[in-house]
Amino acid sequence: MQKTGNEMIKAFVNNYASESCAGDTKNLMHSIYNHKTGITLDKTYMQDTQVGLGMMKYDDFFELLHKVVDDVLQKSNLDNFHDTLLIVGSSVGGMKESEGHYFRDKNYKNIDPDRHAISVVAQSLDDMFHFVSNRSISTACTSSANALLLAKRLINVGAYDNILVVGADALCYTTVCGFYALSVLSCDVCKPFDEAREGMNVSEAIGAILLQNKQSEDSVELVGVGASSDAYHMTNPDPSASGAIKSMQNALEDAKLKPQDIDYINAHGTGTLANDTVEAFGVEKLFGSDVCMSSTKAITGHTLGAAAAIEAIISCEVIKHSLIPSQANLQKAQNQNVNVLKQNKKQDVKYVLSNSFAFGGNNTSVIFKKV
Amino acid sequence: MAKRVVLEIKSGYKVYGVKKIEDLQEKRIVPKMIIRRRLTRNAKIMLYLADMCGFEGGKIVYASAFGELQSTVGITDAILNKTQISPTLFQNSVYNSAPSYFSLLNGDKDEIITISSGMNSSKDALKTAALQSLVSGEDVLCVATECLDIENIEDVNSCTKYLEAGAGVVLRVIAEKEDAKELGDYKEDGVIESLNDLMQVVNLYNDGTKKIALYL
Repeated sequence: MQKTGNEMIKAFVNNYASESCAGDTKNLMHSIYNHKTGITLDKTYMQDTQVGLGMMKYDDFFELLHKVVDDVLQKSNLDNFHDTLLIVGSSVGGMKESEGHYFRDKNYKNIDPDRHAISVVAQSLDDMFHFVSNRSISTACTSSANALLLAKRLINVGAYDNILVVGADALCYTTVCGFYALSVLSCDVCKPFDEAREGMNVSEAIGAILLQNKQSEDSVELVGVGASSDAYHMTNPDPSASGAIKSMQNALEDAKLKPQDIDYINAHGTGTLANDTVEAFGVEKLFGSDVCMSSTKAITGHTLGAAAAIEAIISCEVIKHSLIPSQANLQKAQNQNVNVLKQNKKQDVKYVLSNSFAFGGNNTSVIFKKV
Repeated sequence: MAKRVVLEIKSGYKVYGVKKIEDLQEKRIVPKMIIRRRLTRNAKIMLYLADMCGFEGGKIVYASAFGELQSTVGITDAILNKTQISPTLFQNSVYNSAPSYFSLLNGDKDEIITISSGMNSSKDALKTAALQSLVSGEDVLCVATECLDIENIEDVNSCTKYLEAGAGVVLRVIAEKEDAKELGDYKEDGVIESLNDLMQVVNLYNDGTKKIALYL
């Protein structure tokens, strides 16, 4: 294992796999670089209203979950996950199944509480793969970002050698109709950072990332994590961007980096008026106008508790491809003082920062390093 | 074996009620009515526990196996009945609502983690609080609540007597390893299993134990 200067053990991303509305990781990156969105315009959840949604193709969400995690195991240096800690980030858990029973029966009698809970994702994976232990985090849209944060710290202090972080959320009525009630859904494909953006697209996805304390041939280092709370409003971000700035600063401090070291910011960039204004302002204040930024949610939609896991995988792929993705669906950026890329940019990418922000003013930033 | 750490228990408190916990001192803890009326039951219990533990701000690890059931039921009922969903209900439905209200009311800008590990929720919250204290060197509030008091809960609940319950402790990792009490299997009568480990720590604190050991 490798240690940092102050004797912390390093955390390496050694394998990953994903599924989203843009397909597996290979198809996702092709879609991102070619601006081919996975969002479809759909009335399934909103009978009177068409909204943009990111829907995956599957018969059983949990079968797809097992497949994604098995992909990681097959590509790893492990025979099994018996010495691996599982940390799941999810905001929905088993809500989709509970809704199905409740809407059909109009009572709770066929709802299994264990299959309703957030922990159903971890339990299902544990039943299949037998992890040494598992735990689940639910901080809304930062769930898998906080899973990554805890995973890095657990490896840093020598508590575990192998940790599998999984971000997983399925589409359900509660989230689609709930975001609609907040008036933040776009009826079209979202336009992050564009001055004409109308809102976000709710989506589903599964991302699985194997973090280990030993470097492999294809490693990317998870070098910095930071978090903060806005203490401002339950759904609206602090317009001063102080919470967003603090989480990015904390991640930079953890990584022992300066803002100018970052090559690319994979933004939270939901496409809502409030988020994108505040996030761009925070990036402008902390990084100035040089650092390249884009949001990949115009391709994947907002995958809620899975978002940070998916975007961590995208961040690692950007490092490996040495190609920074431009902003899909951008005509004119609202904030002209930040560098929202209009063309893909080929360059050596050493450091990528990825942001996740959530209800309750919960902010988490993670930084990946080329090794 | 995962890393063993020793924690000092600086304060602790627990509370439960058959249907509803009666006196959560809401008017004293949240004087502004406009905010008070938006709080979820989990938030009111969490704020009360934080107050009783003397915690004013810093890192929080919150846990709940079933989160904001009352808000979730309100949303699904609205969808089923084709009525409008209240935006407040939706914003309150996320599992991190309770500690977020603490952050809002106390100006706490520190890290908040919410654990939802089913019946291991408070156990995993303690492990996470220990990690957070270990890496920061700071006190951490570890608090867990469950509010199951929804109409027709008896359809899915037969063994939990206290439909509202919670426990909280303020912890800090310390260097001294001696005389630390290891947590064992424990069941608090009538309380949902997800709270057992935190209930056990509060009971140990009330019995005079000030140091516990656990594995991250």
